[in-house]
Amino acid sequence: MGALFEVLTENFDQLARGFWVTLRLVGASFAIALVVGTVVAALRIAPSAWLRRLGGVYVETFRNIPLLVLLFISFAGLRRAGVPISNWTAGIGSLGLYTAAYVAEVLRSGVFAVSKGQVEAALSLGFSHNETLRRIVLPQAFRTVIAPLGSITIAMIKNSAIVGVSLLALPDLLKEARIVQSRTFETDETFFWAAVGYLLITAAATIAFRALERRFAIRR
Amino acid sequence: MTYLFDPDNWEWLITANNARFILEGFLVNLQIAVIAMVFSLAVGLALALARVSRMPWLRVAGGAWVDLWRNLPLIFIILYLALALPERWRDAYEDAAPEFLPDVLQTGRVFAALLALVLYNSAVIAEIMRAGILSLDRGQGEAAAALGFTPWQRMRLVILPQGLRRMVPATVSQLITLNKDTTLVSIIAIQEVMRHGRIVTGFNFFGGVQAPVLQVFVFIGLLFVATNLALSRLSRRLEIREQRRTGTTLKPVSGLEDQVTTAQAR
Amino acid sequence: MQTTRWRWLTVLALMVGVLAAAGCGDDEEDTGAAETTATTPTRTFPAGTTMARLQQAGTITIGVKFDVPPFGFKNPRSDELEGFDVDLGRRIAADLGVRPRFIEAVSDNRIPFLKDGTADLILSTMTITAERDEEIDFSEPYFIARGRVLVKDDSDITGVDDLAGKKVCTALGSTYEETLKREAPRADLRLVDSYSECLELIQNGAVEAVSTDDVILTGMIIQDDSLKLVGEPLTTEPYGAGIKEGDDAFRRFVSDVVQAWKRDGGWAEAYQKWVGQYTDEQQDPPTMTLAEALKLN
Repeated sequence: MGALFEVLTENFDQLARGFWVTLRLVGASFAIALVVGTVVAALRIAPSAWLRRLGGVYVETFRNIPLLVLLFISFAGLRRAGVPISNWTAGIGSLGLYTAAYVAEVLRSGVFAVSKGQVEAALSLGFSHNETLRRIVLPQAFRTVIAPLGSITIAMIKNSAIVGVSLLALPDLLKEARIVQSRTFETDETFFWAAVGYLLITAAATIAFRALERRFAIRR
Repeated sequence: MTYLFDPDNWEWLITANNARFILEGFLVNLQIAVIAMVFSLAVGLALALARVSRMPWLRVAGGAWVDLWRNLPLIFIILYLALALPERWRDAYEDAAPEFLPDVLQTGRVFAALLALVLYNSAVIAEIMRAGILSLDRGQGEAAAALGFTPWQRMRLVILPQGLRRMVPATVSQLITLNKDTTLVSIIAIQEVMRHGRIVTGFNFFGGVQAPVLQVFVFIGLLFVATNLALSRLSRRLEIREQRRTGTTLKPVSGLEDQVTTAQAR
Repeated sequence: MQTTRWRWLTVLALMVGVLAAAGCGDDEEDTGAAETTATTPTRTFPAGTTMARLQQAGTITIGVKFDVPPFGFKNPRSDELEGFDVDLGRRIAADLGVRPRFIEAVSDNRIPFLKDGTADLILSTMTITAERDEEIDFSEPYFIARGRVLVKDDSDITGVDDLAGKKVCTALGSTYEETLKREAPRADLRLVDSYSECLELIQNGAVEAVSTDDVILTGMIIQDDSLKLVGEPLTTEPYGAGIKEGDDAFRRFVSDVVQAWKRDGGWAEAYQKWVGQYTDEQQDPPTMTLAEALKLN
């Protein structure tokens, strides 16, 4: 038992640094995923077939490719092609764009839940397609899919650990835990605290989304 | 952009054994995914039954177990098991691994990877199965009880066959996620497609065609997209067929990454 | 309902069939270790020793690097493992009269593999340090490498003192983590799983320097001659074969093979083949003893 807390107190700075990096990684990727996901969802329901297909290609590509492959392409691949992308940008970019595909899909199903009558009414009142989308459809779509968005966020938090493990060498929580373990050989103890760290973040996200759901969700 | 499509940068695909080497690695991923799925189905079924059982302690224990494994990052579980798995278990696996498996899959380290994948995946499968079982009309269970079936018979003959059939599409979707997750085992030095890709890009020790990182991993990405796309089409077709047959749509299970959501506009 | 059951069974059978078919055609493995046994008559060893156990089993499992030329790397064309460490491994196996089976041991899992028995021996560019000696045992040193810094030809870094604020790559679990923290505390350390990743990072400009043993760096220069070594040697890194803690008999056996290898020209041959021909340097087999190595590091 002593060893368990000893590992935490002796390496607290390092593990805390990793925890903080993971938080930033998750926060930035979440923001990207929401923005890009909304855009792609809008593409998927655009009047133009061409745009719809573009959105479809995005979703099918980013849902079916492993995140690790995406990280290699976005960091090593792009750098070789001459794009001086930093490991941080590649990390949040990959995780964000990957998650955006799921956000887009979920939003799309939320859009379909908005009653057609509202859309028709808006259009007949002279709202443009884009305005209808922005003011009427999307706000309600978001409110319908809060729970699935929560699941996607939990998945994203777990996927953030993959970023640290790749050759991007971002010092996130899992990475710092591995460094501590390779130095102290206290495997069980180090990984225990890393697990606690991740569970804290997912628990916080779960609670946040449940609160959002209580407040904003539209039940259909 | 031109770098991406420059034919010189794709020359590696047809030289030496590069393409075959990568495909061989990809095959290892597929095999790991299938093996993990088979065991996950078995374990997942047991967990699902625990979660719907009438004994409260079983429900709670099952629920806690599932929640634990679903909330930890899979790569975390893989790394931990790779470091912490006792020697005896590894030896036992190496002795027990059947001969028809390629040598890559007979090493003890693969056991850590498979165990991690099964622990994680079975928890997800358990949730899918539970949703399938619960989606059944209560009338079915009650009718069976009225007919004098024991609880076990009810489960085996009435509830499970129908409930499980409903979750075939979701299970195929989960296979997509599992497929992607197999790339994570490269971190514990198992020779699958990511490792093979890195060997191909790193390797011009004896001269020869340098395979550029971008192209190699775009190729690997395309392999996955193609396979997973086929799986998602299959899943969608199964879901539509099931709908036509029974007129019910299974509600999407919460927390699944790759559900093929057929957006219904009713 | 009957049809459902059959459908499940056929799906299951199909999957097993796929696995079997894949298994049949797939003879290559990650070890490249279909080695023929030496036909020379071999010594017998006292029962209960590791040597006897290995002879009984017919193979010895050796952890080597798969992606660090010229010491341990896999040639994708021949699917064979090659390198200085690999040659020493084959020699030890031959002296034992068994087949060598090579597995990949990255810096991070070398010691765990010995402790849990995944590997019988580690020949993986592993530096002898007092700290590691507490967890495992080492043979007599079989090679002396020196820590250096690698940069691009056009870099203005001239040594370890210029590394402040620069991104430097080394492997997770290697001795250089500590060394760099000591010698270049303000360097931006990027730790990765293997040196092949460090090579990738310096080639695509994500890091400005790589620091590790000179032979590993030389292996990188061979692959990419736009890189160069700079600065004075940082450290002396005697390589030792890693053996499970407490196995004195096996340790003595391995050390004996190493010394014989140095004496009868095997070392010189391997050196020339893997290092000498690329660096144009001459080196003699190391005379440092294990005790001296432990005092050093």
